[in-house]
Amino acid sequence: MNSVKTLLHTMDRTLTAGLLQGGIHKRRAEEQLFTSYAYFIKEGIKKYSLQEEDAFDAYSDSVLSAIEKITNGSFESRSSLKTYLYQIFHNKCVDLLRKKTTNKYSVHKTLSIKESLFDISDAARSVIQRLVDKSDWAALRQKLDVLGDNCRKALLLWADGHSDQEIATFIDYKTAAVAKTSRIRCLEKLRQLYKAP
Amino acid sequence: MENGIEHIEAYFGKEVSAEESRRFEQAILEDPAFAEEVAFYLSAKQAARDLAEVEKKERFLQLYRQEAPSRPVRTMARAGWVAIAAVVFGALLFSWYLYQKPAAPGKLANRYIEQHWQTLGVSMSSREDSIQTGLRLYNEGKWPEALKQFEIMIRSGNTGPAIKKYAGIVTLRLKDYDKALLYFKQLAAYPLYANPGLFYQALTLMERNQSGDSENAKQLLQQIVKNDLEEKETALEWLRKL
Repeated sequence: MNSVKTLLHTMDRTLTAGLLQGGIHKRRAEEQLFTSYAYFIKEGIKKYSLQEEDAFDAYSDSVLSAIEKITNGSFESRSSLKTYLYQIFHNKCVDLLRKKTTNKYSVHKTLSIKESLFDISDAARSVIQRLVDKSDWAALRQKLDVLGDNCRKALLLWADGHSDQEIATFIDYKTAAVAKTSRIRCLEKLRQLYKAP
Repeated sequence: MENGIEHIEAYFGKEVSAEESRRFEQAILEDPAFAEEVAFYLSAKQAARDLAEVEKKERFLQLYRQEAPSRPVRTMARAGWVAIAAVVFGALLFSWYLYQKPAAPGKLANRYIEQHWQTLGVSMSSREDSIQTGLRLYNEGKWPEALKQFEIMIRSGNTGPAIKKYAGIVTLRLKDYDKALLYFKQLAAYPLYANPGLFYQALTLMERNQSGDSENAKQLLQQIVKNDLEEKETALEWLRKL
């Protein structure tokens, strides 16, 4: 019994360290976390009578949510990763059953942007929130897709929390400074494309 | 003054003083163009993040399809541990036996192909685009039709890495090794987060198994291990066996 607990504890530490380390380590830890508890999908099918694709969606969304909490420091290791992940998964399955999750993109988006605006003053926050709510998300994603491979990759890595040093490694830019300059140029290019009539 | 985006980034990265922070928030209230720029920055980041998550989910789907879901780690009775110990011991004995003579490259390649490419992950969304059509044809065993679909996309200017990867896989299954190598070389040239291009070239060489192929495949596998590239674990395992 104790040895199983120790094993889980060691696994949690390894996964958490990998996720926080960034770069290729983060990617491997993400995949390891996903595969370690992928059997939850079967539980979702059995216990909540979900279709396989819904159970897969609920599980992969739970993994993504756990990754986000771990990397932004909100996961405080009060429970094991498995328990934590299962709790998120259970909630997502229940949400699915209640048909509350009708638009996953917008639910997630609102939460993430709210997190970014956490420290901003109330008045400024409501101005930004109002403008963000008017964003044409489909157009933004479509413009990201036509930016060119390197630009798209750089912006996706940046949004996923990678440092400029890691972006430089992944895309073969010479330095972190070059990665930053290129990434900012890409954002400006995206803005022009998005604003163009 | 620094670039607008850098300025915004410094604010959200908490790299500005309290006074600069106050001015930043004041500018949002007083300058609509600046407020729009800030909102765009946040929206663009979120849209990119959504796409990054879609890509991660695609990767997870591939993993889910490729591997049987992992078994749960549960508290086991003593009998369970004994059974595991017996299996591990048996596996060790078997590995020792296998270790005595090198494995045929073709067999290793074949096993990989059978395990990983019996079917290719099709997106679960209801939207079917050209790539999904190609993958569906492949999964139905219509390999020539799948290849035709991918090559039409390549000819019409779709030069993304996914197309090169799928075109290479189908070509390899059709045993057109030279062409498969070409597609995988093109795939390896993309600056991807995780690029299996080199590994697939090694796999193709092992499957073709002509004179010199095995040596060339080994060199590629060594390169994968040395540079910590995609499929490093498999490369290490094969290098031990070849």
